[in-house]
Amino acid sequence: MSGPFASLKVVEVGAMASAPYAGKLLADLGAEVIKIEQPGQGDSARHRGPFPNNQPHPEKSGLFLYLNTNKLGVTLDIFQPQGMELLERLAADADVLIHNVAPPDMDRAGLSFERMRKNNPRLVMTSITPYGLTGPYRDRAAEELTLWSQGGLTYLNGAGPDTREIPPLKAFGQQSGYQGGIHAAVATAGALMAQLRDGEGQHIDVSVYEVCASMLELTYVYWPYGKRIASRLGSKPVQPLEALECKDGIIFLCCVEDHQWEAFVEVMGHPAWTDEPLFKGRGRRTANWDAARLFVQEWLQEQTVQDLYHKAQAKRIPFAPVSTMGDLLSSDHLKARGFFAEFSHPVAGTFKYPGALFKMSRTPWEIRRPAPTLGQHNHEVFAGRLKLSEAQITQLQEKGVI
Amino acid sequence: MAAPPLAGIRVADFTWVWAGPYCTLQLGYLGAEVIRVETRGRLCVTRHMTPMADGKAGPNRSGYFNQYNQGKRSVSINLRSAEGRAVAKRLALASDVVTNNFAAGVMDRLGLGYEELRKSKPDIIMITMSGFGETGPLRDYVAYGPSQVPLSGLSALTGYKDGPPLHVGFSYGDPNGGIHGAFAVLAALYHRARTGEGQFIDLSQWEASVAMVAEGILDFEMNGREPERNGNRDPWMAPHGVFRSKDRAEKVAGRDIDMWVSIAVEDDEHWRRLAGAIGRPELAADPRFATLADRKRNEDELETIITQWTSQRHAREAEEALQKAGVAAAILSTNKDLFEDPHLAGRDFFVELEHPEVGVRRHTGPPWHMGRTPSEVKRPAPILGQDTDEVLTGVLGYTGEELEKLRAAGALH
Repeated sequence: MSGPFASLKVVEVGAMASAPYAGKLLADLGAEVIKIEQPGQGDSARHRGPFPNNQPHPEKSGLFLYLNTNKLGVTLDIFQPQGMELLERLAADADVLIHNVAPPDMDRAGLSFERMRKNNPRLVMTSITPYGLTGPYRDRAAEELTLWSQGGLTYLNGAGPDTREIPPLKAFGQQSGYQGGIHAAVATAGALMAQLRDGEGQHIDVSVYEVCASMLELTYVYWPYGKRIASRLGSKPVQPLEALECKDGIIFLCCVEDHQWEAFVEVMGHPAWTDEPLFKGRGRRTANWDAARLFVQEWLQEQTVQDLYHKAQAKRIPFAPVSTMGDLLSSDHLKARGFFAEFSHPVAGTFKYPGALFKMSRTPWEIRRPAPTLGQHNHEVFAGRLKLSEAQITQLQEKGVI
Repeated sequence: MAAPPLAGIRVADFTWVWAGPYCTLQLGYLGAEVIRVETRGRLCVTRHMTPMADGKAGPNRSGYFNQYNQGKRSVSINLRSAEGRAVAKRLALASDVVTNNFAAGVMDRLGLGYEELRKSKPDIIMITMSGFGETGPLRDYVAYGPSQVPLSGLSALTGYKDGPPLHVGFSYGDPNGGIHGAFAVLAALYHRARTGEGQFIDLSQWEASVAMVAEGILDFEMNGREPERNGNRDPWMAPHGVFRSKDRAEKVAGRDIDMWVSIAVEDDEHWRRLAGAIGRPELAADPRFATLADRKRNEDELETIITQWTSQRHAREAEEALQKAGVAAAILSTNKDLFEDPHLAGRDFFVELEHPEVGVRRHTGPPWHMGRTPSEVKRPAPILGQDTDEVLTGVLGYTGEELEKLRAAGALH
């Protein structure tokens, strides 16, 4: 058995999270992905870590190692004309080109869909950029934090009601990058369905800003439907929906539907206060949650997280513990499902990584190779694929093109 | 203009709340015909949630439902009745893809499990997007999107320095599970188009969320430690944070709108540019701040200086001044800012269609733009059950008489 995308050839010009994650999604399902990195420094994710013993090393960055499994790695300076020509040749033979080169750098390198598809009308080219390829913000500088913020997500999070002086808080890690990558992968796979039908490619323009703004749940629609600004300082649409302290840690309480609250009342032993009309029904309970919370908090002081978690789940109440990394890696459930995948990298060593994002019954996810070292497959690709001679390769190396 | 990528693909959509509907929303954007199965006896919770258009309650007036069900059809089928389940099965078998995000085992109990359906339709593709997956000791546990944030480890990593684990402010597990589900379905459709084979996809929202904290997992694997929460700071960039700006002059519902600007300085060169942009060029060479290591060491002081500048201006002004210098800076948009943003409007990001009960509302649309097979929303979110008759007669071939019988038996409630 091989992956659903085993027939595909993909070229990725990606750094940090978005395009590399899109490339990984295709590579992990069988596609041959040739990843192109700038000579010298390589993908900036190589310099971010986490690193073993906190010692930066370009072949040992956890972020890079995770995002680049199953890829072939070559170095190529797309800002030199000869480099761009080689990219053009790789694209001529590919089904997909995915990149996250920002628009000003695309202009500088001469990277365009017209050029890439010139010798390959079936090429699907996916451009993942901060603000998209058009519009007044096209050329703006951006980072993970600023995209998550402009996309409306940071404003929603913080220390909670009545904490006006404490800044809103971004989510950990590279969330806008990951989401840019997976949303781009969905659009790319869509374009591949069209390509399968009629043999023609197309250009896909993905703006990470728009991706973030697509995930605002009910908070975005508070304006077009109610002329209200949603904020971290406001009240929740339903309660309980928050983390509170138990005897030995924090549990996340979640009763979205009334039957879940009623079941929780039973778990608490049906205390008298829960019969107050003040707390009956979703609307009143939510409106008066500040009062109800005091009763719940008092009860929680005698509970342990794991005990309450399992007791609640036995009654189908979706409470959850606050998992640490250690909890996840030792979870019996995740072990039984074989979620974490352990494999070795020649320089970094052997670690467990998050594995299949979903399980397909016929076309399983697999690790065929760990992330490439910088330029690991230069010879295989430039001599083997593009038929360059040894002399040509040496010359390109001397010029710093590869 | 070419037909959309998924033209001719029908999805029998048994999903609800957010994760599942976010998955089928994407399939709809790509041109699939998505038929949402709803039950009046147990309405999707999002049909009940605020905000309701103009504050008037009703199952067709919820902004939340209308946002994430654009372009879909709705049939109402009573899955508690045997006749209703037979209709649902006929719909599933007339479809290419069957989706659900019920807890493990529910589709089997409804007689709509994969093994049952594939007997009659071997190439069917089915995806289940439950909280914990179809196997494993916790398979019967339930999780909502908001609880996936703590469950996945994201809360443990998100928070202020020396403070408790916090949330991320929205039900991140839902869109994340849904979008990965959409990708899985597309992979299966691609495989089917090439080989004729269908398959079953088991997506655990928990696992899809854990993948988003891979950096934390690898840190633990490499160093045996739990990463520390550190607010908005970043180990490789400084300044890197969210800074107070002047509140907006306007008021909404009698309250000031607090405003903030996010700033991320990627290297010493950008620090020099920022120092110039805030009128303090001497800071670039100041030994307290000259290199990343210096700025990290003196980050409290650094943030005080930045705040002195940002707090004297509106967030937009700070954003513009810094962007002019090539520094990554952006306001913390509110929903109103996004609604009014000329950049988004100029890129046709919004969808504005006439909905029979709530009129024209500005919804967000597909977050990608395809050159040849444009993604577009053809109809607003459906009125509850509006397509029942059309789908049962047009797609499933029931006669008018059969339809009436089913209705009389309560199967279409």
